Amino acid sequence: MSEDRYSGHLFNPADLAEEVGLDQDRRKAILFAEAGLPAWTHWQVLGLEWNATPEAVRAAYLDQVKLFHPDRYAGMKLGSFRGRLERVFRGLTEARDVLTSETHRAPYVLATAPALEVTRLEARRLEDERRSMERRGRLARHNPLLARAERINTLMKHGREMLAAGQFAQAVNDFQLVASLDPGNTEAGPLAAAARKKGLEGRINECLEKARAAEAMGSWPGALAAYRAALEIEPGNLRALVLASRAALEAGEVGAARDLAEQGIKVQPRSAVAHEALGAALEIIGKKSDARKALERAVEIDPHLDSAKERLKKLRWSFLG
Amino acid sequence: MSDQDPVVGIDLGTTNSVVATVRDGVPRVIPNRSGQPLTPSVVAVAKNGKLLVGSLAKRQAITNAENTVYAAKRLIGRRWGSKEVEDARRVLPYQLVAGPEGNDIRVVLGGKPVSVAEVSSQVLSELKADAEAWFGAPVTRAVITVPAYFNDGQRQATKDAGRIAGLEVLRIINEPTSAALAYGFGKKLEKKVVVFDLGGGTFDVSVLDIGQSVYDVIAVGGDTYLGGEDFDRRIMDWLTFNFAKENGGVDLRQDKMALQRLRDASEKAKCELSGTPTADIHLPFLAAAGEGKAALHLTKQLTREKLEELTKDLIERCVAVTEKTLKDAGVRPNQVDEVILVGGMTRMPRVQRAVRDYFGREPCKGVHPDEVVALGAAIQAQALVAPAAVGGEVLLLDVTPQNLGILVVGGYFQTVIPRNTTVPTNQTHLFTTVQENQTSVRIAVLQGESDKATDNELLGEFVLAGIRPARRGEVAIEITFDISADGIVGVSARDVDTGQEQSINVTATSGLTEDELKKIIDEHLDDQLEKKQSSADLERSRGRVAAVVAEIEALVPAVQKALERSRFGRDAVQKAEGVLARARQAMERKDTDELASVAEALERTLQLFKGLAAAPPDGS
Repeated sequence: MSEDRYSGHLFNPADLAEEVGLDQDRRKAILFAEAGLPAWTHWQVLGLEWNATPEAVRAAYLDQVKLFHPDRYAGMKLGSFRGRLERVFRGLTEARDVLTSETHRAPYVLATAPALEVTRLEARRLEDERRSMERRGRLARHNPLLARAERINTLMKHGREMLAAGQFAQAVNDFQLVASLDPGNTEAGPLAAAARKKGLEGRINECLEKARAAEAMGSWPGALAAYRAALEIEPGNLRALVLASRAALEAGEVGAARDLAEQGIKVQPRSAVAHEALGAALEIIGKKSDARKALERAVEIDPHLDSAKERLKKLRWSFLG
Repeated sequence: MSDQDPVVGIDLGTTNSVVATVRDGVPRVIPNRSGQPLTPSVVAVAKNGKLLVGSLAKRQAITNAENTVYAAKRLIGRRWGSKEVEDARRVLPYQLVAGPEGNDIRVVLGGKPVSVAEVSSQVLSELKADAEAWFGAPVTRAVITVPAYFNDGQRQATKDAGRIAGLEVLRIINEPTSAALAYGFGKKLEKKVVVFDLGGGTFDVSVLDIGQSVYDVIAVGGDTYLGGEDFDRRIMDWLTFNFAKENGGVDLRQDKMALQRLRDASEKAKCELSGTPTADIHLPFLAAAGEGKAALHLTKQLTREKLEELTKDLIERCVAVTEKTLKDAGVRPNQVDEVILVGGMTRMPRVQRAVRDYFGREPCKGVHPDEVVALGAAIQAQALVAPAAVGGEVLLLDVTPQNLGILVVGGYFQTVIPRNTTVPTNQTHLFTTVQENQTSVRIAVLQGESDKATDNELLGEFVLAGIRPARRGEVAIEITFDISADGIVGVSARDVDTGQEQSINVTATSGLTEDELKKIIDEHLDDQLEKKQSSADLERSRGRVAAVVAEIEALVPAVQKALERSRFGRDAVQKAEGVLARARQAMERKDTDELASVAEALERTLQLFKGLAAAPPDGS
């Protein structure tokens, strides 16, 4: 019997001498298979090439279990070989289970791929990727439809970036372009509107900020001009109207103060601060009875508006006096 | 014991059992001593205290319902208090009580509590005796089949029943696998096969890959509480309901004798409806109507449609289980090459139609649904003692039917060996302590499909003590679970650091402790000695009968000659031939009672012949 079959494996003479019913050949096959279990891949356990098909795995399993299932030696004295057979059988079954499993096979194939195979696979993957990029580029250049789609994609992407960066004017521009290129695009329209709104809000806030800075320095005309700038952007901005009315009063433009307060009331009839501003303006103008009415209205709307209450109290006093 | 001793395969069924063997390379069923292939799985203690098994027990069930145990398979290896047992208690006419440990079932038979394994062992003993009569030699080794979906406790209890009956159980194999083995035996097959096994009490589905004479089970599924008995019960319920309606509320369920008659009639009607569109159920004098009134009769016609309507959900359950099993196997219905029908219930046309509709193909007609399981078991038995006798090729690779695992913190079940793992197998898992300075760990081994431990079947518990005190999580315990080719579970635990080891045999659920089992086996050995004794008697009476037969045969020519001259007794020779035939048959069948009775007849014939042969010529 040639030893080459077992790649020069050294058999323990005691194992070969054990008094069991198996012939020497069988014993060697069993001992060799058992010794290989810890180190071999599932492919090697089944005596297969790497990446053999599931059908080949099944066939090899059937061949092997016929040799290594303990039942095949039923009625025979097996001694330590019973345990060995069971271990080999379990190794075979585990190999079969993994290599025919829909979920476990693919990862195992990758994990056990020979080094050469891994590089080859990786190179092929990169090559595939490069080719697909190239193909897409070529198509885009030659196909007007594709070119337009590409442009729309770029614009949408740029528009979103601008929106995120607070560059609202740029974003509106991009989205409107998309909407004109592709009237069916349902995203671009709302995005453009949102960007526009955000842009306006930003500009109004800038004006209000400027006005507050002017107020802080006591420059009431400057503040009034800044509020007017905000109102130019959004004529119905209640906050700007009320603040502008106060600034106008401070700046001595009482007529403008009254007009602005009245506009505020028109925008929001239930605005207590607008009524208060109107009252303040009317008081300065000298229409004390109207001023009282306006202030009473303000307090009626908002009973906690202390500044209006204070002003009303003073007005009553002077009225009485 | 030599390899030449006969071995048998036994299909221990819910309603009927079959024994088979392989002779001259051909698997064949061994008829019982009444000449029938099927022996009813019924055990009874008659009014006179005599133990009856098989058709004798079945025949007297009506008049002795409390002491007639049928469908013991539905109880074997089950736990006292489980839902299945509680359900069974409500419908069974015989009484069940808890065993001494409080967790297993005892059947009250002849006033004594008897373990279910012992009841089943009586059926096995009967089959063993049938086989011994057929072989004319002792039978001590057998392969016994169980439903694929049986858990460890049920398998263990079945194995115990075999031991009590004096059989070395070579292997417990799954019924569907066994059927596939009989189906494929002697053929060169490369096929995906589904076995649809609807028996008396259990339902099994197995998906197998057959190739190179290796029977590789891919997946099994089933329901151990779904079978012919449930179909019978639907008919019974329908009959009792209608009877109550028509007779002013007479409740037949209170009358055990009436119930037994109903059960028999229901089973008969069900079987009839597999061949005919309607069945008439006629039970005269079924119930007393009360003082001074005529007795009540039951006359009802059951149509096939009505039966199908009554059992619609049972069929749907079968299909649902089949669907799940195929999914587990990763096989689509149209990839199946053959569907094998096993079990008496598959004769029902509606069942066949459900199978045909689901698989989109005609089921295989080539196997005998009642006998195929026993034949497969016989083939496996032969393969396990003398492989050459069955071509040396057959190899079964079966799987474990349910997840095996342990109880973990929070009452959860952690799977260690998932269902449908090829057996024999083992798995080692590492567990750590969960308490500070924990010195012992209790390990509960369970089998089942639920994530919640309490929903699964507890196989056994053991304690690994002497763990060195340490912070929680610092001690690692390695637990090894193995499942043998029988599907029987063994567990051992080892402290990784100290090497302390402990193992359990998860045998407790069979209901019998090892001591009890030994005691019972000893008692049965005495029984068998008695039987041996009686077999010596048998030999003696056979010898005597043979001698008389020879003597009579020798006298025949003289008698014939004498009769030519006589006017009377012309039919004496004819009558004598009849007696001789009976005697030869009795010797063949080794039937002691029959031998005794024929011996008398023979003696009379002999005396007559002697007289005739010696009579002087009729001179007148």
